[in-house]
Amino acid sequence: MSSNLPMLLFLIPFVVGVAIPTVTVKRRALCPIIALGTVSVMVLLAIANLHVVQTKGPIEYALGGWGAPIGIAWLDDSLAAVVILAICMAALLSLIYGQVTVSSEHKKSMQYYTLILILLSGLVGIVFAADLFNVFVFLEVAALTGYALVGAGGGKASLYAFRYLLLGSFGATLYLLGLGHLYVATGTLNMADLAVRIPEILTSTAVVSGLIYIFLGLSIKMALIPLHSWLPDAYVNAPSAVSPLLASTVTKVALVAWVRIEYSLIAPNVEVGHVPVLVVLEELGVLAALIGGALALIQTDLKRMFAYGGVSHIGLILIGVSLGNTTGFTGGMFYLINDMFMQAALFMIAGILLHYHGARTLDDIRDTARFSPWLTGSLVVAAIAMVGLPPTGGFFGKWNIILGALEAQHYVAAFAVLGSTLLTLAYFLKIFASWFFQPQAGDTAAVELSGASRISLGIISITMIALGLSSDSVFQLLLATVNSGGV
Amino acid sequence: MVELLQTLLQRPNFIVFVILFLWGIYIMAAHPNFVKKLIGLYIVQTSAIFFLVAFSAKEGATVPIIPDGETVVNALNYANPLPHVLTVTAIVVQVATLGVSLALVTAIYRHFGSLEEDEILEQLDEQ
Repeated sequence: MSSNLPMLLFLIPFVVGVAIPTVTVKRRALCPIIALGTVSVMVLLAIANLHVVQTKGPIEYALGGWGAPIGIAWLDDSLAAVVILAICMAALLSLIYGQVTVSSEHKKSMQYYTLILILLSGLVGIVFAADLFNVFVFLEVAALTGYALVGAGGGKASLYAFRYLLLGSFGATLYLLGLGHLYVATGTLNMADLAVRIPEILTSTAVVSGLIYIFLGLSIKMALIPLHSWLPDAYVNAPSAVSPLLASTVTKVALVAWVRIEYSLIAPNVEVGHVPVLVVLEELGVLAALIGGALALIQTDLKRMFAYGGVSHIGLILIGVSLGNTTGFTGGMFYLINDMFMQAALFMIAGILLHYHGARTLDDIRDTARFSPWLTGSLVVAAIAMVGLPPTGGFFGKWNIILGALEAQHYVAAFAVLGSTLLTLAYFLKIFASWFFQPQAGDTAAVELSGASRISLGIISITMIALGLSSDSVFQLLLATVNSGGV
Repeated sequence: MVELLQTLLQRPNFIVFVILFLWGIYIMAAHPNFVKKLIGLYIVQTSAIFFLVAFSAKEGATVPIIPDGETVVNALNYANPLPHVLTVTAIVVQVATLGVSLALVTAIYRHFGSLEEDEILEQLDEQ
């Protein structure tokens, strides 16, 4: 039983997702119950999986009983287990939050739950896959449901979903080309085998161009600047019930896929034609962190501001994992897990503002008299986490990235983290300036939020603080991954 | 220069791949019509599949099934099945992408009444 946990985590959302339309065609009210139940079971399984991995070490799951060189392998190590748990929790909170705007009478509610569950199975597959081609297939499963979810709102959203699809599919094609190159050069697609064979021939043209294709493809998926242009439009126009989950998971999981490839194939200090590979990646992260922060600062639309904030955080994480030392790597991965919850929280807040107050821009917020304490409270917590103050998880992630940068003596990277922190602080000050501004009208009662939005906001705020308080144990888990050799 | 040309001409498959790939990108970038953009994307995806097929092609090779009772297996006589498996899966992914993208194109046409990007952008500016 325990050794089948990875497969169960993948199959349960997939089977339920496919079954929902047939089971609930007459009783639409069942949809949310089934979906919430499924994702709750997934959270429990993910906790069990984390426990198993912690006590018994990494699980290598051979699909159909065929071992690694011939068959397809999945790797369930502590990094995968932690990320899966974070994905499941973010999905559960997003589904609870989704009840605010998606009622069971809604015409498209059934499709919403189906797509969310299939998206989840795709994400789980990407994280577990230890085979480049498997990553490609699951990337496409997740991406296709993502396009459909973004376009679900119809109207303008379908235009931006279509642009997202053009870029995303192009990225996937580049990834496919890249893995073709690596296969030609090595004769294998298994990451563990590649990790043995690639370092010797890293300077060959086929391997270098293959890795560049893969990186370009995945950086479209993870919205790394300058390939980010699809993200703000897609997330701003996506339905409010969808954007928290997409913003918190899709880009980060593409980054996890890249981290696995980068960490197992590219050794620190390796140079290709006098170009230090990791430093180049790190500088790309620096650019993304700073430009993303600056772009967020000049926005007036709240969702767009948060979307650019997410783009800049992708840069921060890329800096962390590309420093070539353990401190930076664990810091980056810890920040990635935090960022999932921060992005989910921010888009939930933006969605609730739109739903209850009709507020989309900073000016709309300025004109609104009073906000529910739940909303203000969670915005404050999210802001503290985004800026990176203790005791939230954001602090420990950034702190370790900076420590790693100092350890590697890459001062530009350290300053970039500080710079992006200042930019984050600046755009949150802009939000707070409008938030606490009192229009003359004054004495109107605060809007009562529904139970679903209170629960989701409350739990996600607690999670952001709890991650900071329990940062030590999470770091231990990530260290276990690094020390076991492979990622 | 002559040597470069010679090496290029020895690999006609890869020249076809490069032409298809660049052609597809050009159509995706240059045509304002969304359906034509999709065709461009389809050509790019096909070129990647063509690349997979091109490098796995092997002259005089047969299907990789070992007959009953045969003990000596000469790998040179068999085609490598893995690139073909990749190709089939990639085609399935491509078909699924095409389905979703056509659905989105239909939704765009219902909302904007047009599939030309410049006309749609004008409509967006007016709002």
